[in-house]
Amino acid sequence: MTVASINGRSTQMLQSLVNLRAQLDDLTRQISTGQKSDTYAGLGVQRGVSITLRSQLSAIESYDATGQTASTRINLAQTALSSMAKVVTNTKSAMFQATNVAGVGGASQVQTTARYSLDELSGLLNTQVGGRYIFGGKQTDSPPVESADHILNGDGSRAGLLQVISERRQADLGSDGLGRLDITNPTLSSVNVAEDAVSPFGFKLASVSSNLTNAVVNGPTGSPAALDVNLGSGNPNAGESLTVRFTMPDGTTSSVTLTATTDDPPGANQFTIGTLPSDTTANLTTALTSAVQTLGSTALTAASAVQASNEFFDADANHPPVRIDGPPFDTATATRTGSSADTVIWYTGDAGSDPARQTATALVDPSLSVGYGVRANEQGLRAVIQNVATLAAISITSTTPNGVDLSQELNSRLTTGLNGRPGEQKLADVTTDMATAQISIDAAKNRHTQQNTTLQEFLTQIEGVNDTEVGAQILALQTRLQASMQVTSMMYQMSLVNYVR
Amino acid sequence: MSLSQALISSIAGLNTTQSNLALVSANVANAGTPGYIRKTPNQIATAANGTAVGVRTVSVQRELDTYVQKQLRVENSGANYATIRAQFYSQLQSIYGTPGSSTALDTVYNDFTSSLQTLASSPDDSSAQAGVVSKARLLAEQLNSMTSQIQSMRSAAELGLSDAVNQANDAMQHIAAINAQLSGLSTTDSSAALLLDQRDSYIDKLSQLMDINVVSGDRNQVTVFTNSGVQLVGRTASELGFDAAGTVSANTVWSADPDKRGVGTLTLTSANGSTVDLIQTNAIRSGKIASYLQMRDHDLVQAQNQLDGLAAVMASALSNTTASGTAVTSGPQSGFDIDISGLSAGNTITINYSDGLTNTPRTLTLMRVDDPKALPLSNDATANPNDKVVGIDFSSGMTTVFGQIAAALSSTGMVSSNPSGSTLRILDDGAGNIVNISNVTTTKTATSMANGTSQMPFFTDGTSIYSGAVDGVGSQITGLAGRIAVNVSLIADPSALVKYASGVASGDSTRPDFLYKQLTSATQLFPPGTGIGTSGAPFSGTMSTYLRQVISLQGQNADAAASLKQGQDVVLNSLQQRFDDAASVNIDQEMANLLTLQNAYAANARVMSVVKDMLDLLMKL
Repeated sequence: MTVASINGRSTQMLQSLVNLRAQLDDLTRQISTGQKSDTYAGLGVQRGVSITLRSQLSAIESYDATGQTASTRINLAQTALSSMAKVVTNTKSAMFQATNVAGVGGASQVQTTARYSLDELSGLLNTQVGGRYIFGGKQTDSPPVESADHILNGDGSRAGLLQVISERRQADLGSDGLGRLDITNPTLSSVNVAEDAVSPFGFKLASVSSNLTNAVVNGPTGSPAALDVNLGSGNPNAGESLTVRFTMPDGTTSSVTLTATTDDPPGANQFTIGTLPSDTTANLTTALTSAVQTLGSTALTAASAVQASNEFFDADANHPPVRIDGPPFDTATATRTGSSADTVIWYTGDAGSDPARQTATALVDPSLSVGYGVRANEQGLRAVIQNVATLAAISITSTTPNGVDLSQELNSRLTTGLNGRPGEQKLADVTTDMATAQISIDAAKNRHTQQNTTLQEFLTQIEGVNDTEVGAQILALQTRLQASMQVTSMMYQMSLVNYVR
Repeated sequence: MSLSQALISSIAGLNTTQSNLALVSANVANAGTPGYIRKTPNQIATAANGTAVGVRTVSVQRELDTYVQKQLRVENSGANYATIRAQFYSQLQSIYGTPGSSTALDTVYNDFTSSLQTLASSPDDSSAQAGVVSKARLLAEQLNSMTSQIQSMRSAAELGLSDAVNQANDAMQHIAAINAQLSGLSTTDSSAALLLDQRDSYIDKLSQLMDINVVSGDRNQVTVFTNSGVQLVGRTASELGFDAAGTVSANTVWSADPDKRGVGTLTLTSANGSTVDLIQTNAIRSGKIASYLQMRDHDLVQAQNQLDGLAAVMASALSNTTASGTAVTSGPQSGFDIDISGLSAGNTITINYSDGLTNTPRTLTLMRVDDPKALPLSNDATANPNDKVVGIDFSSGMTTVFGQIAAALSSTGMVSSNPSGSTLRILDDGAGNIVNISNVTTTKTATSMANGTSQMPFFTDGTSIYSGAVDGVGSQITGLAGRIAVNVSLIADPSALVKYASGVASGDSTRPDFLYKQLTSATQLFPPGTGIGTSGAPFSGTMSTYLRQVISLQGQNADAAASLKQGQDVVLNSLQQRFDDAASVNIDQEMANLLTLQNAYAANARVMSVVKDMLDLLMKL
């Protein structure tokens, strides 16, 4: 500000004093707040840079916070996934033991253990992190997987896995246990094996082969498919065999091989060559019927259960469940579309078709978005719960016909399911994705730590003060101010007035 | 020479010494009076009674360097201009906040975007949703309070002008009065000198308020002009008038048109009755008055425009959707169909086409207006400098709309029609190939939260939607920063931040991701008139870059104003020093004069007593 002269004394002196005082005040403020200026104006030409730096620092802070949240969730997901892997290992080894060692008692033991494992799995898939369900894709506010009890036993009017498997078994086995096949003798010396209807159920005739002399084998042809074996011209020889191959409901194949023998009564899978071809045909028919029945109660039952649970676990919010059109089920020829009102839909989470990892993303860098979402109905996870549930659903007791064989058929299919087919996503793939996400987040965090240090230093250079420098300036200024004040006071005292008498 | 002559001379000397002493004592008494010019006597030797030589104080000299005085007056205006400006700017800086503090504008903005980041990583977390809403409200309230502070500074400038005008009128009256008094006095004696001192101090006061030019006439008259040549004071004083506005807001700005003007204007009524508007003629360019005018009409308005631009772009970035038309053909003509329902006032239909001859790309923007008084719109209504803007009045219903669109397109060779409902079809001229249409887009503002897209009306203009409407009074963007608020339905239900349609999953981060990206990395086009970017080359960049430019520009302006003030102060002080060297009273010098006078008086008295002695001797004879 400008100062009017007082008594003709120098205005410059007064102006300088005022300026020095103002400078001293500013330096004092600087040293006490550590800030070069309390407005943007005082920061100098680098004020624009300081604003940018501060916005970058704030962004880094928020990226780190996001990364932290994502890391917590990924850790818990990894824990759940590794528990699931343990369940898989335990189930497989239990099945192996049951199949090869224990007999029927072991078979039923495995079912009970599977029941407990299913409880554990449904609990793991309903893991929450801070109130957020992490295996439901975008649906994070409700549990994605139904409870084990609902899955197996249903819920009121909604059918569970047990009911679905039982309905399918009836449809696949038919009322006579022959797997929806009609084995007839159109003539005394021919055997006709036909599927009873065009339907997806029961045995499907794949092929037939024989080296029986004098036998003419045709088929399978027609719709519904049928084949026939004509022994009309003569008896086969002992040791020759007839093999019929069937396709199972779950896509596997199995076969029945009947060998001609001269023994009477014949052994398992043998038929006695009779005197006449018609006798042989009758024996063949009996042996075939019994072999098919045995196959039905073992391989077909297992395959039916596997296919039923496949259809049950296919269902989600976008795919309605597939049920058998009936009752009656043992003559059913088609499936119908169920709904959530009549069937328990095991997966109630987000069922979109976009990539599952992108259902939960964390922006940890301006251009790096890490995906760590998981849906419980991804192939790797679904396979585990599906196969364990199927194991828990089939009960084999000492009264089950061919119980041990059934158990072996079931266990081999389920083990294949738990191992995963080549080209399909496995549990380990999901775990790997999670680990990759975690690595990206950690790398970003490390970059940020370094960036933070550099940016903070730069910002301090622009906005901060060097305490030592400011302290020295204050000291120098103080000295100058004191000297100026001294001289000014001396000057003001000197006046001729004092000397004029 | 005779004794009597000696006596007469010494008596004259005594008288002169006495009057000089009176001057010295006057100087000493007024040593501290501001504006007092040191006076010295002008003594001349006189012839008395033919041969005697006497002495007489003929006039009082004011020790004044007129050249320095003139310079001083000029720098005084400049210094006052710079001081007022620096004061306003330092006050303006305080509203942007201390760098790094939690109330700084950029910190509040960064907090808001960080809260959106947090929401994107946990969309289902209701505390993250509430966090976003509360940070957004802080930002809106910050903009509101900054606006009210800027406008209160404009109001202070208005009051300052009113005050300054009163002071100026007072000074001019006094100058005229003194002129009249001095014209009656013909000699320069001490009373005249005192009047001259007074007049000089009034002129100095006037020079603080505006830049003036002082022309001296004869008989101690002066005429004061402004630097642009308008006469302020002569024998009579003109009168300055200022019609101060009661309330000052972002919408009240100065305009040459009295109907549109919302703040006061400066008028000069001269003695013969003619009036001139001083702001329109830019007659005052320095001093306090010019400084107040600069702040009120330019600098603070620019600061307000910057904040308005920020608010407007923030609101529209989050709420505006651009949709493209679908290509159609009709015989040889090809073009686009687009649905024009759901446009709010200020929303646009943009047609990009090129003419077949030169292939220069052209843009025609049709903007919806709801107030027919706003038409015709100028091309500045949109930020794009290269488009032609035509306003379409929707207030009379959709049937008139299509007619107006057809009229707007008539000179371009394109044809518009309304095939059904609210679909607009624009076709080129087909075989003639004079015009080719590149694309047709509409920009619409979302009006409800769960509208199926990520866009949402996050911020509102008070209680209504912000859509950039233009009406007869002005544009919706003016003063927006003072009215911007978070949508009340969002405050009531923060889950609308995630649920962009019914049935959206709770963990779906589509909308939060969109909001975050729009506010941090998406490039927006900013309106001109903010000092950042020009009408011909508007600024395009991210919101953060624009904010940085705003704060940076204001800081720079404040810094420049402070530097200017410092520079002016130095110049003023050194001139003042030079002036004081000649004109102010130096006690030591007066004391020395006093001694001299004392001796002179004693010497004259001695001469008188010696003459008396000689006469006595003569008498004794």
